[in-house]
Amino acid sequence: MQEWFLRIADQFNQSFIYKDRWKLYLDGLGITLEVSLFSALIGLVLGIFVALMRLSQKEDGRSTILSKIAGAYIDVIRGTPAVVQLLIMWFIIMNNSKNGILVASISFGINSGAYIAEIVRAGILAVDKGQTEAGRSLGLSNAQTMIYIIIPQAIKNVLPPICNEFVTLIKETAIIGYVSLDDLTRVANQITSASYNAFMPLIIAAVIYFVIIKILTLLIGKLERRLRKSDNR
Amino acid sequence: MITVKDLHKTFINPDGAKNQVLRGINYEINKGEKIVVIGPSGSGKSTFLRCLNLLERPTSGQIIFDGIDITNPKADINMVRQDMGMVFQHFNLFNNLTIMDNITLAPVKLKIMSKEEANEKALSLLERVNLKDKADAYPVSLSGGQKQRIAIVRSLAMNPKLMLFDEPTSALDPEMVGEVLEVMKELADNGMTMVVVTHEMGFAREVGTKVLFMDEGNIMEENTPYEFFNSPKSPRLKDFLSKVL
Ligand SMILES: Nc1ncnc2c1ncn2[C@@H]1O[C@H](COP(=O)(O)OP(=O)(O)O)[C@@H](O)[C@H]1O
Ligand SMILES: [Mg+2]
Repeated sequence: MQEWFLRIADQFNQSFIYKDRWKLYLDGLGITLEVSLFSALIGLVLGIFVALMRLSQKEDGRSTILSKIAGAYIDVIRGTPAVVQLLIMWFIIMNNSKNGILVASISFGINSGAYIAEIVRAGILAVDKGQTEAGRSLGLSNAQTMIYIIIPQAIKNVLPPICNEFVTLIKETAIIGYVSLDDLTRVANQITSASYNAFMPLIIAAVIYFVIIKILTLLIGKLERRLRKSDNR
Repeated sequence: MITVKDLHKTFINPDGAKNQVLRGINYEINKGEKIVVIGPSGSGKSTFLRCLNLLERPTSGQIIFDGIDITNPKADINMVRQDMGMVFQHFNLFNNLTIMDNITLAPVKLKIMSKEEANEKALSLLERVNLKDKADAYPVSLSGGQKQRIAIVRSLAMNPKLMLFDEPTSALDPEMVGEVLEVMKELADNGMTMVVVTHEMGFAREVGTKVLFMDEGNIMEENTPYEFFNSPKSPRLKDFLSKVL
């Protein structure tokens, strides 16, 4: 028992303390969070646009070309693996760029844009149809009704799921080592090679991911309860 | 004021089946009239009303409002709707806005009034329906009857030429029906042109200038309230009245 404990302590020392290796995890976490945040921002802007495109229809109710383009984008992104999208971006579309952060953020931004578009679309559709009808019956245009009435109500619906999408990104970006980024996962891998021990570095990385995500999830839960309390419906 | 010519509306159900809801309606409404529409559920009353302000697009036929064919695809629907208020069964107050903002949003955003003018107008209208103290409240805190009175006020703030009511009291608890009908009567007395779909036969008798009976997408019978209720002609109307009176 004591022997086992000493071995674990030694492994921890090798993987975390020795040569200030803990700094590497911290830097890795920094890259992970940076790419996740940029991706989320790109995804948010893109997602809102695509959702509005997807919902656009002519006055007679038929869907527009824009709506079909948006639908195709959502389909393709959700129907292919994120790793493949990342590699296509890195080796084909942006193969002149050496900036891994940029490539990864754009790739994941485009990826999460599709998911956020669906979140936003659902949030808008969840607003009672009567709200739109009342706005339009007063003479407000479709855009005015959206801006002043529907979107303010939809934001409450979509804020928590969009924050969750950001949390998901933190986990999903664990593949950005493919584009030469030393994110948390890749750092753990590198330390594994350097210390000839896979167990401890991977456990440490897992714990860091878990703690960050747990904290964010708790905060989102809080936000959700606050929003529900201030619900004017 | 408004002329409806051979109005048809056919819905295509998701399974592709056609549902002919309006089957060639012809009708003319003059300024100051109060048209009450009654009929069994599913007969097309709401669809008829919603076609008048183009919330539903007619499949064919014409609607001429103030000399303009509003069914013409080139007609400016938003301009037309500014002149036609609509009150819904479920109130549809804007949940994200205070009562004041509910009332002033459209006149201000459509640049019909300045913010100050709109506020003033809203307050005087709220005074008329005894709800001035609710100006800063949100819809969620109001009773059904209060919501519907606000909904009427919201439409009136646009100074419409015509008001459409789609079963305005059907979603209310019985004790609140009276306060809403009261506001509608006052509106009628002040000369508003109104089209009212309702099951309130007392209101039809008292306020209507004409009562229409809709059945299966047609206007089956049309008459002054007295004739309508005392000597109904078609067997369908007789049957309907025997059930509701
Ligand atoms: N948006 C719609 N899409 C498809 N069918 C509809 C729609 N609105 C109404 N209908 C159909 O039209 C018929 C008449 O409905 P409605 O005009 O609401 O009748 P009423 O108001 O007299 O009860 C019903 O069969 C209803 O199912
Ligand atoms: Mg109806």
